[in-house]
Amino acid sequence: MGLKTWIAAAGILLAGVVVYRAFSHRSPAHWEGPQRLIVLGIDGMDPDLLQKFVQDGRMPNFARLMQQGTFQKLTTAIPPQSPVAWSNLITGMNPGGHGIFDFIHRDPKTMQPFLSIARVEPPKHTIHLGSWSIPLGSGTAEQLRQGEAFWQILDQHGIPATVFRMPSNFPPVKTRSVTFAGMGTPDLRGSYGTFTYYTDDLMTATGAVEGGEIVAVQPENGRVTAHLPGPENSFRKGSPPATADFTVDVDPTQPVARFTLQDQEFVLREGEWSDWIKVKFTLVPGLVSVEGISRFYFKQAHPRFELYVSPVNLDPRNPALPLSTPAGYSKELAEEIGGPFYTQGIAEDTKALSAGVFNDAEYLQQSREVLNEHRRIFDKEFPKFKNGLFFFYFSSLDLNAHMLWRAMDEHHPNHTAESAAYAGAIEQFYTQMDQVLGEVWPKVDEHTTLLVLSDHGFAPFYRSFNLNTWLLQNGYLKLKDGADPEQGEYFTNVDWAHTRAYGLGLNGLYLNLRGREKDGIVAPGAEAEALLKELTEKLLTVRDSGHTVITRVDSAEQAYSGVHTALAPDLIVGYNRGYRAGWKTVLGAFTRDVLEDNLNPWSGDHCMDYTLVPGVVLSNRPMAAAAPALTDIAPTILAEFGIAKPQSMIGHSIFPAAAIRSQNQHVRSQSQN
Amino acid sequence: MTSPYLTALFLSRTLWGGVPMTLVFAISVVTGLVMLVIFRYTSNQQAVKLAKERLQAQLLAVRLFQDQLPVVLRSYGRILRGTLRYLRVAGGPFLLAIVPMTLLIVQLDHWFGMEPFRPDQTFLVKAQFAPNAPLDEATLQLPDGLVADAPAVRIASDSQVVWRVAPAKYGAYQVNLALNGQTFSKTVVVGSNMPRLSWLRTQSFWEGLLSSAEPRFPKGGPIESIAVIYPARDIAFLGWQWNWIILFFVLSMIAGFAFKGILGVEI
Repeated sequence: MGLKTWIAAAGILLAGVVVYRAFSHRSPAHWEGPQRLIVLGIDGMDPDLLQKFVQDGRMPNFARLMQQGTFQKLTTAIPPQSPVAWSNLITGMNPGGHGIFDFIHRDPKTMQPFLSIARVEPPKHTIHLGSWSIPLGSGTAEQLRQGEAFWQILDQHGIPATVFRMPSNFPPVKTRSVTFAGMGTPDLRGSYGTFTYYTDDLMTATGAVEGGEIVAVQPENGRVTAHLPGPENSFRKGSPPATADFTVDVDPTQPVARFTLQDQEFVLREGEWSDWIKVKFTLVPGLVSVEGISRFYFKQAHPRFELYVSPVNLDPRNPALPLSTPAGYSKELAEEIGGPFYTQGIAEDTKALSAGVFNDAEYLQQSREVLNEHRRIFDKEFPKFKNGLFFFYFSSLDLNAHMLWRAMDEHHPNHTAESAAYAGAIEQFYTQMDQVLGEVWPKVDEHTTLLVLSDHGFAPFYRSFNLNTWLLQNGYLKLKDGADPEQGEYFTNVDWAHTRAYGLGLNGLYLNLRGREKDGIVAPGAEAEALLKELTEKLLTVRDSGHTVITRVDSAEQAYSGVHTALAPDLIVGYNRGYRAGWKTVLGAFTRDVLEDNLNPWSGDHCMDYTLVPGVVLSNRPMAAAAPALTDIAPTILAEFGIAKPQSMIGHSIFPAAAIRSQNQHVRSQSQN
Repeated sequence: MTSPYLTALFLSRTLWGGVPMTLVFAISVVTGLVMLVIFRYTSNQQAVKLAKERLQAQLLAVRLFQDQLPVVLRSYGRILRGTLRYLRVAGGPFLLAIVPMTLLIVQLDHWFGMEPFRPDQTFLVKAQFAPNAPLDEATLQLPDGLVADAPAVRIASDSQVVWRVAPAKYGAYQVNLALNGQTFSKTVVVGSNMPRLSWLRTQSFWEGLLSSAEPRFPKGGPIESIAVIYPARDIAFLGWQWNWIILFFVLSMIAGFAFKGILGVEI
């Protein structure tokens, strides 16, 4: 080939790449109407706390929004759990329509539990060669929420949308909108977040704890050699976890150490956090590896060695599982904010606090850094918003109210003098939300609708009600002969042939129904109806030193509509303020007592009677709805852009119909032009 | 909708990584041309041409007689022999070019392979001591503009001491390591442009040749090396980030092939 041919070939190649990169970057929608909608989704913002902080003058921007716009309580989901509630918001349907009833579901045919939001599965077929397994095909990440998301419908109408960290959206549904997955996004181990804690303290129990793993290490000449557990290696027989080795060289006298992980070295002082560290897990040497990111917290150098390593997050620069639409958006975002960030759905490490690995101060520091990261992303993304929809989700109020309610509530059984030092922490997070609202205000004009909303409110969690123990003591559930109720996990000792009902999840009560459950004994129809009635009546009479424990029990048939209702728990137990399902009963275990004090740092909650924990909705526009609900939000968003809601959506726009009509006309005239 | 000007700017910045990309492009094209000329005068052009023509003839035979298996198999054998013959006549000059190319890459890597530290970016200064050197007595002396923001980590088993240093402002600095009345210095650059960087200063001749742009430490001294690990520099080209060496190889080869016709060189 001559020079001209080479130049022509290079020119064609270059043009091809330019066109490919231009169109693969982001798919701009074609809508150019004036209407804009900004939605701040603040998980767990409680109407009573909000009003209190506003009255105290701590939230001037919310005060202005309440004064100039409207503020109402927002009816939450049944049950008021975040994945359920956000799915109501996303789809405009109740759980019968979108199929998310709890954090945990079970397969009645096998009675095995599974996480309700998403399923990450290895390849179905493999060939075994010695200790190796060769997968035939690839694994899958499947979102289990059903129904169309509102931004998918906006996309069909050419309306641009940015939806950041929406819960119950992993892997993100297919759309041309810019989206980033939120709650439900796993870590690299496929869990909702598993930390690793290394210690040479022989008094510390090692092994798996809820949400983490405690590993014993032994320093030799000041050097600790350890393995960071990663994802299951499906290339190895039995799928053992892949590991990444690292060493820590602790200075003999100073509280400082050098960390070496693969080709990276960093120095941390005691009490310091590392930046995000890239971790590569080799599955097949030289051929297959997977990368994630972790942060190291050097808790103590001397006299004990104590090191916390965060769950291995998916690296937004090179995610092992889909994180965003378009796929390259996560990398672009990481580059814009100057590095990677937490991608796991629940980034605040509440489990490390519950396990005693973090103290309150350490948990708060980590939690504040999560919010700082979210605000950095918000500060980059929000100024880019021009038209269409902008949705941004904040998790901080929810998780910190869960963990620090005891600090501000003297009646909580886990309120101590030490925890009282953090009594103002929740208020500080509320004021940070007020600062975010302050950043949004300048962009709110006559063409902009602003919605600030939460999925539920909050209440104290003083006492645990162990539903399975109650069922056992009342003869609805039977254990195998001689079994110790307090031994075994997840129904291991249950005699299903004589069990009529069982509890699973935070609010779910299921009948052991013949033809549905693997070993069901309750006949569908009259027998089942009578049992449900009996259980409902008895649960409502439960008292704790005179206090009502359960204030309502909803039957799935009455509470839900839609094609997935058959998968729902038969009864949804609604606890009174101060009460919630016990930690053990949630996963099918038993306790000695039906009612216990909650001494876990997880001290505030909302998984109770949905009428007691409404969320909030605030807008710069007047609302027409007298009792707006989460299921109204998707129809409201569609109506704002002149789009009729699909029949599957059960809610209605919360704004006056006249305004929608005028906007419809405006949008129609735009499209005709 | 995003401004078309912003889109164009974004695309241009990711398609062509500014000054570093321009320099890599220019150096690659010039290197491709120079290598072509070297090959022209160090190879037996007639022999190269003959080896290529014989290969082409056998490839043609495979296509023409594809229904005659014995002919095809014979041709494959001749193609293998012809390839070896081509490598014999062309391989020598290629091997001859590897030495200057390696030295060129080593030198260019001081500019294109690393980025200087940013003022907000802490870095490690890692000193490798001779065995049994008194690690406790080593002190790091930092100039204005650099501060140690953690105590030194002394690792006796590796005869190493590591310091974490935080830069406060731009500049090219000398950090000094004092031990037993002797001082050992190492350059550190905090900046935003494309200076010549040296991550290692060492006693070793080969390490010095391949990795350092600073004078070697005297042999037998208590300090074997001082290293600072600069961040790797990636260069944007066609929307992706590349290591400059890959770009250099690809572009210099394209340049070589593009100009071989004009210069009448048989490759």
